[in-house]
Amino acid sequence: MIGQVVYFLRRALRNMLYSPVLSAASIFTVGVALALLAFFAIAVLNVQRLTASWAAELAVVAYLEQPPDGTVLNRWLSEIRAYPEVAEVTYVSRQEAYQRFKKRLGNDADLLDGLGADVLPASLEIRLKPEQREAMAAVVERLGRNKALGELHYGREWLERFEAFLLLLRTIGAALGGFLVLAALVIVANTIKLTLYARQDELEAMTMVGATALFIKLPYLIEGALQGLFGGMMALLVSFVAFRVILRESLGNILLLTGIDTIHFLPFAWQGLLVVAGALIGLLGSLLALRKFVRFCQD
Amino acid sequence: MIQLFNLTKAFQRDQNALSDVTLRVTKGEFVYLTGPSGAGKSTLLKMICCAERPTRGQILMDGRNITQLATRYIPHLRRNLGIVFQDFKLLNRRTVFENVAFPLEVQGRRRIEISKKVYNVLKQVGLEHRLSHNPLQLSGGEQQRVAVARALVVDPLVLLADEPTGNLDPDVTMDIMELFKGANARGTTIVMATHDRGLIRQFPRRVIALEAGRVVGDNQP
Ligand SMILES: Nc1ncnc2c1ncn2[C@@H]1O[C@H](COP(=O)(O)OP(=O)(O)O)[C@@H](O)[C@H]1O
Ligand SMILES: [Mg+2]
Repeated sequence: MIGQVVYFLRRALRNMLYSPVLSAASIFTVGVALALLAFFAIAVLNVQRLTASWAAELAVVAYLEQPPDGTVLNRWLSEIRAYPEVAEVTYVSRQEAYQRFKKRLGNDADLLDGLGADVLPASLEIRLKPEQREAMAAVVERLGRNKALGELHYGREWLERFEAFLLLLRTIGAALGGFLVLAALVIVANTIKLTLYARQDELEAMTMVGATALFIKLPYLIEGALQGLFGGMMALLVSFVAFRVILRESLGNILLLTGIDTIHFLPFAWQGLLVVAGALIGLLGSLLALRKFVRFCQD
Repeated sequence: MIQLFNLTKAFQRDQNALSDVTLRVTKGEFVYLTGPSGAGKSTLLKMICCAERPTRGQILMDGRNITQLATRYIPHLRRNLGIVFQDFKLLNRRTVFENVAFPLEVQGRRRIEISKKVYNVLKQVGLEHRLSHNPLQLSGGEQQRVAVARALVVDPLVLLADEPTGNLDPDVTMDIMELFKGANARGTTIVMATHDRGLIRQFPRRVIALEAGRVVGDNQP
């Protein structure tokens, strides 16, 4: 078994060494395509993190003109808590609102000195479950039926606009990524075809002495997968270097303004995925190339 | 061993490369296929090893009908065949040893067994001192001996040879014929296409003559 693996690996490596330029071309193609894809993924992931952190803070705030008495408040709280979309309801009293505001003002807190602790209205802060964010309009509508709740505020529009941007970014990324991967696939398939043209006699000779299709193809499939794997690793390296020297700065400058603290590289699982994707491109590319070359019979 | 019934092959319509060929080669026979260029010799050999499919007719190999043998079984059929071509068809990026070892590797034989068999058969063809050479470093006659070694290393039931001496000098031709005779003496059935009349006179065996795709003669010496 191990002997077999070594045997096919050796044949694959030998094939690669026989055509180093073409092998390098395959690796390079996969590497460039996947590196571009990785750049996009980094941008999308970070913007996504930003919107997620915003969305987590997103709440419907109901300002109460008259702070209700304890029993009414408790009834409202349990009523709203019973909404399936709602994750959490908190009552913010006038005093708490005042304290919060003071804290937010920081050094300018003395501006409030002349005012009483009851300048700000009490409110209910209603946070939705993250997966129920689409239901915000429905929740607001339902809350609106309770006239005592007064004005309802929610910061939906700008989030929606941002999510639309994110969707655009993702769509562009997916389209570009699909195109790049396809292009890489075609180029790899053709590169391997070039090496197969040169070995046509050899492939024919192999079919004549009883080799099975798999036996003949396996080294080429391994060769393709290895080239793709190296391409994927190259993409990972290139995108990491680019991330360190360019992306973190420029993307950071844009996103830091919006309150995100650090720009992240691809998570570990995605790094693995990138390399695996490379290997798959290579494998599929050589599979496509081999289709016409290994023939046992002219039919 | 090989039975053909009304075997017909038309590459283009209304133009048969082979027409209604019916013949029988028994186990251990040595048969020449002769006929002018274009008579259909190569086509016949190709159909016996399933490299071409017949348009009509049936092929039986060792009692088994291989006329419409599924492609995935073709490798197994060929493991029982030795095939020698006019242009050798060696793997030029591999050594002589690796070329001869390849049909055994394909069958998943053990390393030690492979080495022993390859060395023995290379000794038989007189090339044991060349085993680390590349085929392209050898003369035409030596290359064809490597090809014969590769065909014989699996102890084939049948050896198919398509003008194996067509590119070789007369004295080298004799070497190859001696190898075939030896294999035949050890029980391998041999079908050899040639248009070398002199060769047939020197090594007289059964001769099947083809002309324009038809059998026009079948003579024992
Ligand atoms: N692949 C092919 N396509 C079309 N015609 C072919 C093909 N192979 C052989 N032929 C034709 O079949 C006939 C027999 O050819 P072949 O078997 O090669 O003859 P031989 O080997 O006796 O010289 C010839 O007329 C040849 O042109
Ligand atoms: Mg011919």
